[in-house]
This record gives sequence, C-alpha cells and structure tokens, in this order.
Amino acid sequence: MIRFIIASVFIVAGIFVFAAAAFGVFKFKYILNRMHVAAKCDSMGALLILVGCMILGGFSFMTVKFLLVLLVLWLTSPVAAHLIVKAEITTQNEEESDEYEVIGK
Amino acid sequence: MNNTNQNNTQKSGVHPKKPWDIFADWVNGEEPEDKMEKSEQYAVPQETHELHENISAQTVLHSESEHESHEKGHFLLKEYLTKFYKMYFGLSLIVGCVVVGILIYAVCTLPGYGLAENPTNNEVAQKYLEEGLEDTGAVNSVAGMILDYRAFDTFGESTVLFVAVAAVIMLMKRSMNKKNEARERLVAHEITIDKKDPNLVLKYSAVVLVPLTILFGIYVVLNGHISPGGGFSGGAIIGAGLMLYALAFGHDKISKVIHYRSFTMITGCALLTYAGCKAYSFYTGANHIGGGIPKGVPGAILSGGFILPLNICVGIIVALTMYGFYSLFSKGDL
Repeated sequence: MIRFIIASVFIVAGIFVFAAAAFGVFKFKYILNRMHVAAKCDSMGALLILVGCMILGGFSFMTVKFLLVLLVLWLTSPVAAHLIVKAEITTQNEEESDEYEVIGK
Repeated sequence: MNNTNQNNTQKSGVHPKKPWDIFADWVNGEEPEDKMEKSEQYAVPQETHELHENISAQTVLHSESEHESHEKGHFLLKEYLTKFYKMYFGLSLIVGCVVVGILIYAVCTLPGYGLAENPTNNEVAQKYLEEGLEDTGAVNSVAGMILDYRAFDTFGESTVLFVAVAAVIMLMKRSMNKKNEARERLVAHEITIDKKDPNLVLKYSAVVLVPLTILFGIYVVLNGHISPGGGFSGGAIIGAGLMLYALAFGHDKISKVIHYRSFTMITGCALLTYAGCKAYSFYTGANHIGGGIPKGVPGAILSGGFILPLNICVGIIVALTMYGFYSLFSKGDL
C-alpha cells in the first residue's frame, strides 16, 4: 500500500511535468524557447514516470528493462533536441531576430 | 455528366472551355480565363479583376504593378474573401450534414456487434490459435501466421518494398557518367561542413547508439518466432541504425560497405532466397510430399521450420530499403 502511494506520487509528478511541457510548447512563440521547454521536461518526466513504474513493479527483471529504457531516452532525446536547435540556429532568418534570447551563432 | 456540362456551356455561352480543359490549363500553370466571370458571380466591383491580374503578375514575378493599385486591391481582396467565407461556411455546413447522414445510414445497415453469424466469426482465427504451434512450430503465433500460413502475402509485401526502392533508384539515382564528379563534390562539401562544425554531440552519441541499435535489431529479427518482433520490426530497427551512422559519420564511410552493387546484390539475393524457400514448401505441401523440414522444439532458436530464414530475408530487405530511401533522397546515390 505504501509502495503504491509512493509510486503514484512519482507518476503523478511525472504527468505534471509532461503537462507543463505541453503547456509551455503552446505558450511560447519562438522555437528555441519551445525546444528548451520540451527537451528539459522530457528528461525529467521520463525519469519520474519510470521510477514510479519501477517502484510499482518491485525489484525484478523488469527493473533492468526500465533502466535501459531510461538510458536510451536520456541518450537520444537531448541529442535530438540539440540537433533541432542547431538546425534552427544555422538556418535562422536575420530579419526575425528581434525576439532572440541567444547571443551569437 | 460531361455531356450536360458541355450543353450548359454551349447554352449560356459564358464558358467557352470545358471544365476539363480549364483544369488541365490550371495544372499546366496557366491562369484560368474565366476568373473575371467567377468574381462577378459574387457581385464584386470591376477592380477585382485588376487585382487578380496584379496578383498573378506578382506570382510570376513580372512586377509590373504599381504600389498604389496594389494597396487598393488588397482592401478589395479582403472584401472578396469575407464574402467567400460566408458562402464557404454555409456550403461546408451542408456538405458536412450530407456526409454525416450517409455515414449514419451506413452504420445503421451494419450487422450487430459480436453476433455469432457475422463473417468475422469463422473457424480460421480459432484454428490458427489452437493448432498454430503444432503446424508451424513457432511460439509467436503472429510469426507463424505471416510467415507460414500466409507467407505468400508476406512475399508480396517484401516485393512491394523491393519495387519501391527500384523505382526510387530509377528516379533519383545520378547518372553513371556524372557519378564520380558529383560524388567528389559532395565529399568535399561534407568535409568543409565537418571542419566548420564537427558536430561532436551527434558523433559521440552515435558511437554508443549505433552498435546497440543494430545489435537490438538483429536480436529482434532472430527471435521473431519465439518472441514479439520479426523481420519487419527488426529490419526497421537495423535501418534506423544504418541511417544514424550515415548521419553522424557521413555517406562516404558507409558507402564503402553498402554501395550500389552490394545493395542490389544483397536485396535481390534475400528476395530470391525467400521465393526459393516458399516455392519449395508450396510445391511439396500441395503435392502431399511433406517437405522434410524439421519443426524443432518449440521455443528453441532453431525451430519453426522456414520461419527463421524467412525472417532474416525480410529483415535484410526492410533494413536496406529504409537505408536506401534515406540515402537516395539525401544524397541521390547509394
């Protein structure tokens, strides 16, 4: 019972982080701000939800699989966000540059 | 239908062209002649026609229009669009109601959900589930279904992929004479980009991810008959790994292994192996000879008769097709 409560707290926290990410993606206008929100919250939300699942399932072979999923997500998702942002920075239009928060290229 | 249209145009004399001709002209890039008449239907003043001419002139970059008339035309375009949208709203409501009515009528005539006499409730699904393990020797009954009972269907799917990649090669591949020159130019371009921006994040992550991805894909292909997976999913994973390698380290490195010759050879051989295996089992099965292929112990890696080699063939075709599409569309060569 206690384990269920702890796991549900983790999973609800993860869902909250993902909801904040979805809200931020629609709230912000500029792509770098949006990518910032999406990339950060992806890593955090995945961690929280997977830790919640690990606690819920107990220690077994599935825990190792969850750890592998977490490893793959943490390896791929930041790299993908980095490449998207890099593509935006290298191809951005000079005329639209009044709402930047990044300096230089 | 066409006949009545023709009669109408002849009677009214407004549309000298058939609708099909206007459409063909529009496809070929010409402005339709009767745009003025259409705009008159919406009771828009004569200046709209000039506006149309302005817009069309600007779209073909003649830039003959004056700035003043353009602003005036912009206002008129707004008026025109508001009128159009009012009509659009009513029409979309009518069309939507008609479509919804047709769909509801169609749903009313469907047979009830879960009735025993429905055509989906036949003995085939039950036979596959109950006797599949015995017949095919595959623990994963999906693999037993698509690669044993319905292997001919899967052969068609693999052929579709092969034909698709052949068509893309025909359309996109650079000609043989210009090949070396274009290739050298591309390699030089890649090297300059690489010196300017080595993209170390992608390279270091690819060093970890590419071997793991390809290894996992091979695992999924080889375990297709004893766990969820199979040739299509495993081949897609291997193809993704190959694409990631090409993205991170450039086409030049991967094309030392997968070039046009080896690509066509491997894909063709995989498809021919599939065809040969299934031809053998179809021939022996249809003539009640009994193929003599051992089924093996269910659950072992060497079980299920021809399912394992067929999975490997399908995996090779899918992986190379995915990589081939990526390479042909990004580089224009394999």
